[in-house]
Amino acid sequence: MSPNILQKYSVGNFHFPIKSGIDNILVNKDSVLEVTQKIKEDEDLLYDQLIDITVTDNMLSKSSYSNERFTLIYSFLSLKFNKRLFIFTNISEDNLDINSITQIFESADWFERECYDLFGINFVNHPNLQRIMNDYNFQGHPLRKDFPLTGYEEVRYDENLKKVVYEPVTLKQEFRDFDNESPWEGMKETIKEELEKK
Amino acid sequence: MSENFKPVTLNFGPQHPAAHGVLRLLVQLEGEVVNKAEPHIGLLHRGTEKLIEQKTYTQAIPYFDRLDYVSPMCQEHAFALAVENLLNIEAPKRAQYIRVMFAEVTRILNHLLNIPAFAMDIGAATPMLWAFEEREKMLEFHEAVSGARFHAAYFRPGGVHQDLPENLLEKMKKYFTNFPKFIDTLEELLTENRIFKQRSVDIGILKKDDAIRLSCSGPVLRASGVAWDLRKSQPYDVYEDLDFDIPVGKTGDTYDRYLVRMEEMRESVKIILQCIENIPEGPVMVENNKITPPKRSEMKNSMEAIIHHFKLFTEGYRVPEGITYKSVEAPKGEFGVVLVSDGSSKPYRCKLRAPGFVHLQALHFLSKGHQLADVPSILGSLDIVFGEVDR
Repeated sequence: MSPNILQKYSVGNFHFPIKSGIDNILVNKDSVLEVTQKIKEDEDLLYDQLIDITVTDNMLSKSSYSNERFTLIYSFLSLKFNKRLFIFTNISEDNLDINSITQIFESADWFERECYDLFGINFVNHPNLQRIMNDYNFQGHPLRKDFPLTGYEEVRYDENLKKVVYEPVTLKQEFRDFDNESPWEGMKETIKEELEKK
Repeated sequence: MSENFKPVTLNFGPQHPAAHGVLRLLVQLEGEVVNKAEPHIGLLHRGTEKLIEQKTYTQAIPYFDRLDYVSPMCQEHAFALAVENLLNIEAPKRAQYIRVMFAEVTRILNHLLNIPAFAMDIGAATPMLWAFEEREKMLEFHEAVSGARFHAAYFRPGGVHQDLPENLLEKMKKYFTNFPKFIDTLEELLTENRIFKQRSVDIGILKKDDAIRLSCSGPVLRASGVAWDLRKSQPYDVYEDLDFDIPVGKTGDTYDRYLVRMEEMRESVKIILQCIENIPEGPVMVENNKITPPKRSEMKNSMEAIIHHFKLFTEGYRVPEGITYKSVEAPKGEFGVVLVSDGSSKPYRCKLRAPGFVHLQALHFLSKGHQLADVPSILGSLDIVFGEVDR
């Protein structure tokens, strides 16, 4: 383990409990390309496999681990040292651009396309940034928290027109989203504050 | 190639028996040689990750059966481990043995579908019929413990749903002691079969470096000569205490991938028999009323049990905030779950890392320069199931 390299790029700790004991760093989004290059080549790290790239949309999160809208999570594995590494980076809603790492890890291709399709993150210098999961002419980014579960459009084959037609979603009954969470346990903090005031 | 010979683009799928599901493959051909193979996926996209965000942790489990529908229990395993990690609990020993045992049954089930399907793609019809008979017998064990042949929802965070029925262990022991004989007969049909070898040896060679570079895992990585198995390198549940070997290939062609899977089935039988031998008595679920639903009999007499039951099936249990990544060695490779909890009773984000997604990405690299007829062979050896690729 050479913590120096990791520390060099780290811009502070990720203030969120990471439970599985995986090493992690929070980096600036501009230095992602540089860090991935380093961790792949450094002889004491040798993270040679990209396991996953994923995004969380922090819009509705009750935890305050990030001030920005999106957090990108890169997950690496070193086969030699049997270690894993998380690289976190925050992306604001105003500027969704980030450098693609496909030139360093070839397998990032589809992972980045998926993040683009589902969250709208724009990977600069990606060789083929197209939708991967959704329909070719799909609008919007469905895994964002402001995208409704039922979506906007539904598809069916029209027997009369002899073609596939797109129509706005019609729900036979209102979408039911029950809040079953008990208010009492959630109120602990408020009750505590009330008591402290007294 | 003469100048007036233009490359042809062929649309392979989305409905094609050798595509193993709904894969649309755009193949650019020069004569019969593949120039470029571009998979278009997403035809089976159901938005599983989005749906899981709207469900409680218990309600999310059945979605995992429907990802890779050929090996359901292994994926529940990854989710159960991730939630346990966030809750900071550990399943009782008996539950861990049961989980390992059924994860291995699932592995055999998966390979018994993949190997004959692969063989059928390249011309052998009999293995399919033989393997499906055995699969049906093994699915009876699935049914005995969970009540369902495929969509089991049996592994829960904190253990397994219910204890094994009486006599099941004896039945399983009897069956699996004889099972290697079936593997022998299957090998007799295929391993030295001239047609089978002509269609698979030296096809789709994946060298060690390429396999690592393309993020391959599971049998695909091992066939290329990398001795890497999460059951050994990052053991979960009771794999540490069990004795088994990791088969590794040499050349990394489709034939090697077949051999590795064949050998893995033998190792799985070893693991299952060890589990049957060593399984301890005891509870199969953590004894914590805030996580485990009460028994029916308890609810007849106890008010508290009724309250717990009601709360667990409406609100669900709350999971402390945090991020975790847990992965298991699924039959197809590394299946992982990135789970983000914000302290409520629903997962805030649940990313599923599917091995097939990564392997399908390598298809272009593997099939470039091969003949079109080799593409089904390569595709079959990668073991693609669209439930997990498209999610």
